[in-house]
Amino acid sequence: MAVCSAYTTQSLNSTCSISTPAKTHLGFHQKQVVFYRRSSKRGGSGSGSGSSSGPCVITCSAGDSQTVVIGLAADSGCGKSTFMRRLTSVFGGAAEPPKGGNPDSNTLISDMTTVICLDDYHSLDRTGRKEKGVTALDPRANDFDLMYEQVKAIKSGVAVDKPIYNHVTGLLDPPELIKPPKILVIEGLHPMFDERVRDLLDFSIYLDISNEVKFAWKIQRDMAERGHSLESIKASIEARKPDFDAYIDPQKKYADAVIEVLPTELIPDDNEGKVLRVRLIMKEGVKHFSPVYLFDEGSTISWIPCGRKLTCSYPGIKFHYGPDTYFGNEVSILEMDGQFDRLDELIYVESHLSNISTKFYGEVTQQMLKHADFPGSNNGTGLFQTIVGLKIRDLYEQITSSKTAAPLEATKA
Amino acid sequence: MATLFTLNLVTPRAVASLPDSTKGSPIKVPYLNQPWKRILSPLESRRMQVRAAPDRLSEKVEQSIKEAQEACSDDPASGECVAAWDEVEELSAAASHARDRLKDNDPLENYCQDNPETDECKTYDN
Repeated sequence: MAVCSAYTTQSLNSTCSISTPAKTHLGFHQKQVVFYRRSSKRGGSGSGSGSSSGPCVITCSAGDSQTVVIGLAADSGCGKSTFMRRLTSVFGGAAEPPKGGNPDSNTLISDMTTVICLDDYHSLDRTGRKEKGVTALDPRANDFDLMYEQVKAIKSGVAVDKPIYNHVTGLLDPPELIKPPKILVIEGLHPMFDERVRDLLDFSIYLDISNEVKFAWKIQRDMAERGHSLESIKASIEARKPDFDAYIDPQKKYADAVIEVLPTELIPDDNEGKVLRVRLIMKEGVKHFSPVYLFDEGSTISWIPCGRKLTCSYPGIKFHYGPDTYFGNEVSILEMDGQFDRLDELIYVESHLSNISTKFYGEVTQQMLKHADFPGSNNGTGLFQTIVGLKIRDLYEQITSSKTAAPLEATKA
Repeated sequence: MATLFTLNLVTPRAVASLPDSTKGSPIKVPYLNQPWKRILSPLESRRMQVRAAPDRLSEKVEQSIKEAQEACSDDPASGECVAAWDEVEELSAAASHARDRLKDNDPLENYCQDNPETDECKTYDN
């Protein structure tokens, strides 16, 4: 497939006017190869195959074949939506459901990103699952073939009609059109379950919440609902656990980054779950992704920022960084235990972290402040989600610049 | 969802009774027999819509919990029991999302978050 190079598209922006309308108006990818001569004495047109040699032939393929695909896996009620909002905010703009479409759509669209909820690929609706006695966690309730086909299509620049799973009614609604965005995020229970889909992902994240914390979060979420009691919440978690352990949990070994949330070690016998210990487990050797580190890459560091320069309130903050192995992979783990109480704690910590891919000093703090009302904004969950968001932005920029820098090799191949 | 079904069942009966009662007089009283069809003022209708979604979901959550408890009383390890609790989880998540969506509907707050320097949004602390 011909790939358009950066210099040619930019210089062609004024002349290559055929390609962009083709993508937006018709909504599907047209693999037009348009030949233009720089001398502009002769107009170029017509579809051709291959590229001709010569210094002044520019090939331009309609459609953006540069969609970066990110996968985000987590159990329900585990902060995926918060993560999504932080991620889209890093890129700028707010993500909203598609205008004029199904109001119960799970899709979120912003300028740069489109977030697809993988629940839309359920093959069985709520009644179907009830009849078969199958949970949504079970692979039998999901159509992985369709998921693979559509993600592959979007990645290569083709718009698709994606089904909608209506969480309110529990039915599968008529499909909606998804146009290929610059960044596609697929979030749900099984982004890394199917091997083919896994290979399409440029970066994958798994949110691993420990049982105690999950219980505390679900209590917070559900106690406001009539009908729920501690017993019902507990029963719900217990009933889903076997399927979760069998199908969802194994995905964490494939993830490039795992955000693990555990109860704190700073307060002995704490069972409120307010203070959290969060570990960011980053796989080594992932293309375009360089792990965040403290002070010195590859060495083991324990750091308590509170002291003479910074005063923290109880229980304080504790950091740890070091290399490790995780399910047989080489990883670097950055860990934070405790809470931020004040702005200067946050900025102090940020100034000592390295490789966080910020564009200016204080960007992490600014992003955290922007969403101070989101859950986790005062502890490691918010901090690491924001950092991962910045790493994804960095990954996206690296991928797009490397793709545009290598068009000749692609066309020659 | 349950309430909608009952509405649909009642309507044909109400319509059927109308021609009998109004044989002689052609006076149309469409909203007497069907009070739920009265025209709501725009503000009222918006308020009712806003209340309706989480209310409906809350009822569904309650109902699903009862069903799950019944399903599990026979056999806690069966597929039905597990699927029923999964449904409870799904509905609880949907209800919580609906509640969150209700919270971020203040247009001024949303605007001021992105544009704090505009006249409407400036705060003077000292």
